[in-house]
Parts: sequence; structure tokens; C-alpha cells
Amino acid sequence: MPFDLENFKAAYDRWVEESLPDYQAGKMEEIVKKYPFIVPDDIPWTPYKGEPSAQTFALVTSGGLYIKDSQPPFDTVSIHGDTSFRVIPKTVKQKDLGIAHAQYDHRLAEQDFNIIFPLQRFIELEKEKIIGRLVETNYSFSYVNDAVTLIKKTVPEFISRIKAQAIDVLFLVPV
Amino acid sequence: MGLIQRMVEEAGIPTISMGNAADRMARIKPPRALLVKFARGSMFGEPGNVNRQRRIILDALAALKTMTEPGTIKELPYQWNRPDPV
Repeated sequence: MPFDLENFKAAYDRWVEESLPDYQAGKMEEIVKKYPFIVPDDIPWTPYKGEPSAQTFALVTSGGLYIKDSQPPFDTVSIHGDTSFRVIPKTVKQKDLGIAHAQYDHRLAEQDFNIIFPLQRFIELEKEKIIGRLVETNYSFSYVNDAVTLIKKTVPEFISRIKAQAIDVLFLVPV
Repeated sequence: MGLIQRMVEEAGIPTISMGNAADRMARIKPPRALLVKFARGSMFGEPGNVNRQRRIILDALAALKTMTEPGTIKELPYQWNRPDPV
């Protein structure tokens, strides 16, 4: 079932206008309560087939991870959030990663990014042949409210990328 | 994340996600998900708990095979700073 973007856009624009003062005051519970969710009733489904040991996995977090030396941090100021994503290489180390996300406490993830993005565990499972492969580049999003841009632009780009990587399963870790 | 998961599943790629709030997950309706008892920002438990992180991924791999109904959510037993159940 397609998303009803036209109605959402109108409701979202109203929400931005009404919620901006609460957002700026950090009253996040208030603005979440009023957010015009657009999830349809049906649940999409692609049957899972085969064996993990023969398959390619990709990992995505919404924890706001970015590579400090080579990528810009996410926008943590705008009420729209940031609809972009960062491509995180499989070889990344804890010290290379920054976290740009103002809506959760990331002190624990700064000690061990695997609690929001278990890249190193997937690499171990690949070595043990429990999974076939983890793709060479995985992904991070951050805080997003602007579902219109997400649905029309960012997610289609993201899907093109993971399809080009011929992944069998996408593992998603929200924060 | 909920929208991304739904669109990827709709595009023909099986997905599985994590969550920590049953009420939010009921609203988001992910195709397949694991529910944990951990706070925001640490879906895989305590920093450095390698074995727990690994077990949760293995639970997800098992769930891919056993979940056959759209919208299935499996609750995991792990608790913060408590040993894993046998």
C-alpha cells in the first residue's frame, strides 16, 4: 500500500509550525505525541529463503554515526532532522566514528559502537561462516522527522545502493 | 527506521529490526522484529558484552527462519547487567 504523502505533507507542515516552540524547548514527548504518523495498516512482506551461511547481510543504524575525518556530521538542530545517510566501511574503528544525534544519550555507544551497530560481531560471524558475508559498506541514518523527503528521495537512493550490493537480508537497528 | 524497513521489505529484500518499546512497535508495524529490554541507545545491551551482542544476532538469524507471518515480534529474555539465561 503506498503512503498517502499528500495528506501527510499537509499534516506534517502543520505539525512543524505547531511543534517548533516545543522542539526548541526540548519537550520531545509533546512533539512525538502530536507527530502525524503515516504508517499504513498493511505490513509488507518478502519471504525469507535459504541459509544465512550462504547469504549477504547489510547493517543499518539510525544512531547518527559518521566518519569524523571524512564525512560531515548530521544536522542535529533542524526540527526536520537530517534525511541523509552515511556510508560506513566495514574496516571502521571505534576512534574513527563520531555520533551526531541529539535525541538519545550516546555515551554508551561512544564506548562500544557495536551496541547500536554490531559490525564487529557480524565480521566475526562471517569469519566463522555462520553468515556468508557482511557487505563492505554499511549505513547510518540519524534523527529524521521529514518523512516526505525520506520516502521520495532518500530511501529510494538507499534501496538502489543495497540492491547493487546484492544483499539478501537487511538488519536494522534503531536507537 | 520503521519507514525504511517497510520500504526495503516492499522492494523485495527481507528485513529484521530491533526495538525496545512494544507500543511504538505496534504503531510502526515492522515486518519482523526482536524486542529487547534495554534502554534507547543500546539495543544490544551493555558496551563490551561481546557474547550478548553475538547471541542477539544469532537470535535474529534464527528468527528469519521461524517468522512466517508479517508483523511478528519476538521478545528476547536478556536483562541489563544480568547474566544471559541458559
